[in-house]
Amino acid sequence: MLTLLRDLRKLRRTTALPAPDRGRSLALRHVDCGSCNGCEHELTLASGPTVDIGRYGLGIVASPRHADLLLVTGPVTTRMLDALLIAYEAMPEPRRVAALGNCAIGIGVLGTEDEIVGPVESVLPVDLRIPGCPPQPDEIAAALLALIDGGDA
Amino acid sequence: MSWPLLPGDTYRDVVKAALADGWTFAGLHATADNGRPAVRALLSSPAGELRLESVDASGLTVPTIVDLAAAAGWDEREAHDLYGVGFNGHEPLRPLVDHDVALARFVTSIRGADPYQVAVGPVHAGVIESGHFRFHVVGDLILHVDARLFYKHRGLERAAEGLALADALPVVARACAGCWVTNAVAYAHACEELLGLAPVPELARARTILLELERVWNTLNDIGATCAGAGLAAGNNRFLALTDEARSLNARLTGHRFLFGSVRVGGSDLDLDAQETADAREALARIKRDSSRAWREILFNGSFMDRMPDIGVVDARAALALGVVGPAARAAGVPEDVRTVSPRLAYEGFEPAALRRQSGDVQARLEQRALELLPCLDVLDRLLAGPLRPAPTDATGQESLIGVGRVESPRGATTCIVERDGDRVGRLRLRTGSYANWPAVAYAAANNLLPDFPLINKSFELCYACVDR
Repeated sequence: MLTLLRDLRKLRRTTALPAPDRGRSLALRHVDCGSCNGCEHELTLASGPTVDIGRYGLGIVASPRHADLLLVTGPVTTRMLDALLIAYEAMPEPRRVAALGNCAIGIGVLGTEDEIVGPVESVLPVDLRIPGCPPQPDEIAAALLALIDGGDA
Repeated sequence: MSWPLLPGDTYRDVVKAALADGWTFAGLHATADNGRPAVRALLSSPAGELRLESVDASGLTVPTIVDLAAAAGWDEREAHDLYGVGFNGHEPLRPLVDHDVALARFVTSIRGADPYQVAVGPVHAGVIESGHFRFHVVGDLILHVDARLFYKHRGLERAAEGLALADALPVVARACAGCWVTNAVAYAHACEELLGLAPVPELARARTILLELERVWNTLNDIGATCAGAGLAAGNNRFLALTDEARSLNARLTGHRFLFGSVRVGGSDLDLDAQETADAREALARIKRDSSRAWREILFNGSFMDRMPDIGVVDARAALALGVVGPAARAAGVPEDVRTVSPRLAYEGFEPAALRRQSGDVQARLEQRALELLPCLDVLDRLLAGPLRPAPTDATGQESLIGVGRVESPRGATTCIVERDGDRVGRLRLRTGSYANWPAVAYAAANNLLPDFPLINKSFELCYACVDR
């Protein structure tokens, strides 16, 4: 166990992201609306030991009721539309929405027209677009940090 | 491959006889045969031979084979929901893909005063794909789980149909990021069978390297996921970092962390010089050293390892009946691995790793993955011994109307069937390892405690995206 923890300590803070000197935070809730699972894999790594968004006050929370920002992935399938709207309705004000990955933004979407509603911005007001197929963990972190720094939430 | 359209009774008899002869069910789909509705069942032999048995569905109802092969359950339900085919004898034929139905039609009814339902999803508490589970429980004990997936259904098969054969690959492969290469190679193999093309050895080598690179990061990810399922943050984080390292290597070699765009029909453009392959071998040796060291630490973590045995059991008998594939099947002592019967790939002499304790529980599935990482890294070390050059296919002169590609994904056998319409995709079916194994997750959860479900689920670590398509 000690070996594991020692190895992990060495791995921490190897990225070129800015030092965690800010006093703000953002609670994130992820909703998958039909992704290929690539955005989920990279988002998981963003909270892993190398990028470690937790050190900037960014954390993934279990319920939209505790979230400041809804992170939506996928091209929004017709079958996920209701669940997405329910999750958004459950969020307290002020609330923000981010489209994570090209599908959510509406770029290069694959599928059949009648199974797909359209980009996130066609159903919810989008405050942040994080492009990429999928966006890399450090790109996700940098985009979220820019939202905290530039936003007036 | 021949596929005379059989009448219903003959179809059942033929499938029954094949199963008795040692063939196993490998997938079923609805299609049109020269404009006539048809259903095709794919069977595979232990030597890797494939055969399709097709039944005339112009009466819109065909006999079920679910009583002969339980693994056909989801396939028949899907064919009913998407193509309107009825399966005589499959009762109740619950909806699978169709969400526009009353809850009572997809939920199993359980009588008695004590059982109650716990509904979870489609939105989950962590960073998890969307899907709905309905647990029927008494106290903490799970009696039964109804899984309702297909929230992520994008209609990818239909989107691919009508496209030129080469153009449909990105559509099929993107069924999921976790198995992009597997899906792409299965599709490419199917198309090459249609077009009468066979890979030259260098092409087989390129694709095998990509498939095993995909298996490396997935295996590291899946070990981490099981740690997360039991709340061992240090183990999860260590394997997440290794997963990141493996994906970074993918990006250095192909320009993409998930290897997107590295496979095409009819050849390979992957060009790695001696320096690049040597660097890759060095990076993989580092991953081998660090993952072995981390795995040893986990093995000696008593409180973690005590959570693993005797829960979520799918033994060999159940695995065979349910058609379980991949590490989950091998952890139960069912030694099936498509890599041993893949003449279009470079797996000469490959033998799947076998555990001493093949108990089919969470511990066996976790240990099977850790064990399988080693032969996977060995294959890569052997294949990356020199530079890799772009490579074509050779014409075999034997074209066909239906092509089947079968490739071992990190979750088990993935099958892609392509029926051609001239130079275009007529009908396409992708049946991934995750699709084959989801019924086993529900089976494994029964008679376990509800709080153990996340761990049982993580020990399979299945994808939703490539099931829903």
